[in-house]
Amino acid sequence: MSQISRRQALSVLGAIGFGATAAACAGPGGSTAPGGSAGAVAPSAGNITGKVSFAHWRGEDKVVFDELIKRFAALHQGVEVAQDISTSNDYNAQALQKLRGGSIGDAFATFRGSQFNNFTQAGIYTDLKDSKAASNYQPGLLAAGKSGSSQLGLPYQVVFPMPMANVDLFDKAGADTAPKDWRAFLAMCEKLAASGVIPISWPGGDVGNGGQLFNCMIANNAPVDDMCAQIEQGKLKCTDDWFLKMLGQYKDLVPYLQPNATGTAVEPAQNLFSQGKAAMLATGSYHIAAVRGLGAKFPIELVFPNTSTGGNAKYEGVYNATFILGVNAASKNQAAAAAWIDFLSEPENAAYYANQTAQHVSVDKVDYTNPDLKRLSPWLGKKTALAARFQFQNLDVRNAVEASATAVISGTSPEQAAEAAQKIVDERL
Amino acid sequence: MSIHPGTAAKTSALDSRPGAPDPKARRRSPTRVNPALYLFPLPAVAITAFFLVMPTLQAFQYAVTDWNGFSAAFNYVGMDNFIRAFTKDSLFTNALTNNLKFVLLVVVAQTVFSLLLALLLTKNSRGSILLRALFFFPTILSSVSVAFIWKFIYDPNFGLANSVLGAVGLESLQGSYLGNNVQALYWVAMTQVWFHAGQMMVVFIAGLQAIPRELYEAAEMDGAGKWQQFKSITWPFVAPATSIVVAYTTVQSFKAFDLILGIAGNPPKASLDILSTRIYSTFANSEFGYAAAQSIIFMAMIALVTWLQRRLLRLTPKGE
Repeated sequence: MSQISRRQALSVLGAIGFGATAAACAGPGGSTAPGGSAGAVAPSAGNITGKVSFAHWRGEDKVVFDELIKRFAALHQGVEVAQDISTSNDYNAQALQKLRGGSIGDAFATFRGSQFNNFTQAGIYTDLKDSKAASNYQPGLLAAGKSGSSQLGLPYQVVFPMPMANVDLFDKAGADTAPKDWRAFLAMCEKLAASGVIPISWPGGDVGNGGQLFNCMIANNAPVDDMCAQIEQGKLKCTDDWFLKMLGQYKDLVPYLQPNATGTAVEPAQNLFSQGKAAMLATGSYHIAAVRGLGAKFPIELVFPNTSTGGNAKYEGVYNATFILGVNAASKNQAAAAAWIDFLSEPENAAYYANQTAQHVSVDKVDYTNPDLKRLSPWLGKKTALAARFQFQNLDVRNAVEASATAVISGTSPEQAAEAAQKIVDERL
Repeated sequence: MSIHPGTAAKTSALDSRPGAPDPKARRRSPTRVNPALYLFPLPAVAITAFFLVMPTLQAFQYAVTDWNGFSAAFNYVGMDNFIRAFTKDSLFTNALTNNLKFVLLVVVAQTVFSLLLALLLTKNSRGSILLRALFFFPTILSSVSVAFIWKFIYDPNFGLANSVLGAVGLESLQGSYLGNNVQALYWVAMTQVWFHAGQMMVVFIAGLQAIPRELYEAAEMDGAGKWQQFKSITWPFVAPATSIVVAYTTVQSFKAFDLILGIAGNPPKASLDILSTRIYSTFANSEFGYAAAQSIIFMAMIALVTWLQRRLLRLTPKGE
């Protein structure tokens, strides 16, 4: 065998290094997924076989989905569905990169707002406008999954990001669960406090869950419905009077929150509520299953912190249409993935999901048998605002604006908190 | 390297002996080897190139673009991302300040605390060995487990810290811990010290056990007190170990990403945001170009701080 010199070896390694450098400098971007922002049409027919990866963040729903997967597999021989579950925060941060290749998330869910929009821009969705699944949904609840004339996603869940109430404690205190305005809401809190319980358990140490209260507080205070989008665009400001009024109302809540509320994580907040130490849990209906799991036996109602004055409220509550189901445009198993979405969207399967997870769904003609869902079903017909915090496209802006409320609760003046938030918004205009 | 002329002459005299190997072949051997040998490092070179060199080079390229992480289109923005980080992004400068504060707190506290533990547990007695194992134990836990343990301790409603304070009648000292924006970073720094002090203690113990006992005996005979012995014998001998501890703790504190995310949630609030979590938030916010620029600043910052420490502390003797 001929021998090579050190110089020759270094030349070879140098060439490899140069190649690596050249490859590294090939330029970011590459191509978007084949869907495009309008979305390629999802297949309505095809081979329903193979392994479907279903990516989502609802770890608490895994067992329910497992049962639905079993039923789906019984209908279609040779098909398997594997759940790829991340925590909600990780899913929000990483799902786009993970799903672009198409090997993970043949079928997937997204959050409403920035994640849905990013997925749309990246061309990950297929168009489900003419799918069998889309025809099963209540038309009024499909807007969150639309992009132009395309129906890219199907918002599966309807949640109410409003404080949940322990009806027994409300009855004991003689408090009304439907305050007509802000004064009535504070009077209600006063009655609850006088009865010896913490009126509101609020997870101020958890940005995601603590921020849900913001949806309620801003709904009737803002001059327009797309207030968060306008804050992000610089058309409205955190230093505006209406925003300062809202922060002032957050300040009003301080005596009614648990001590050290800004350091409370979501699990202890749930415990305070489920153990009957707090009359309300200021997160949302998506936590019903969790508090039931912690042993809460009392009837649960929703309470809207109505910030209006003089009973002229525009909205009676807030809702969110989320868990937006889609079929991955880069998937090699689109037919099976679309069949899985069709299956989930059938009323009897959606009903199973809803009743087992205590979540309302957007699918029409669903029979709610879960006592909590039955009790809360009237909220589906009330005049509710679509949760505003999901209008933010920039997560730094959203966190800064919501952090102004937390700052007020920890003792900062509304004016100072608003200025600090506006500074961050201005930096990102 | 220069070769002494005398040495060269000696070598050539030896080579001219009968039976000595061909001098040409000897000269060739260090530089010409069997090509198959070059295949051995190739997997390591390829892995390093693919997973380290290429992403690092790509980061430099992304850093001068406004790429959002998924679009085919992007613009070159020159140094704008770097300028933005230092002049137009208070979240980044806040994270930088937090991180420097966190590094300072942890480096000082962890070095002092682990040295103190090491001094107390240098002897190989059964009690010392048991205590060493106990103090080392947190090191083997995952950072997520540590975060959850301390999240429970710091919880203001059901947490251990407030419960203990309440049980001993010190309700006035009960607090919000992580909910207090002024104190939050200090509480997380304490967790970090608890997490890693045992590991650093082991490094110090290795250094301390290498000190000859005779030096202490001689010092005692000369009438040196404990402090003088520490100052004149222990400290100079553990200086190299201190250098390792300080450098390692610095890098570790800059990268306390998993601990912060576990304890403070994602995204962490501004008072607990450090550079690594800020970079992650920027990536999550689909600002890949800007996040790459932040990553390069982060890398430079670690290198700079580590270099400064070595220059200023001069813990490693020259030549070592």
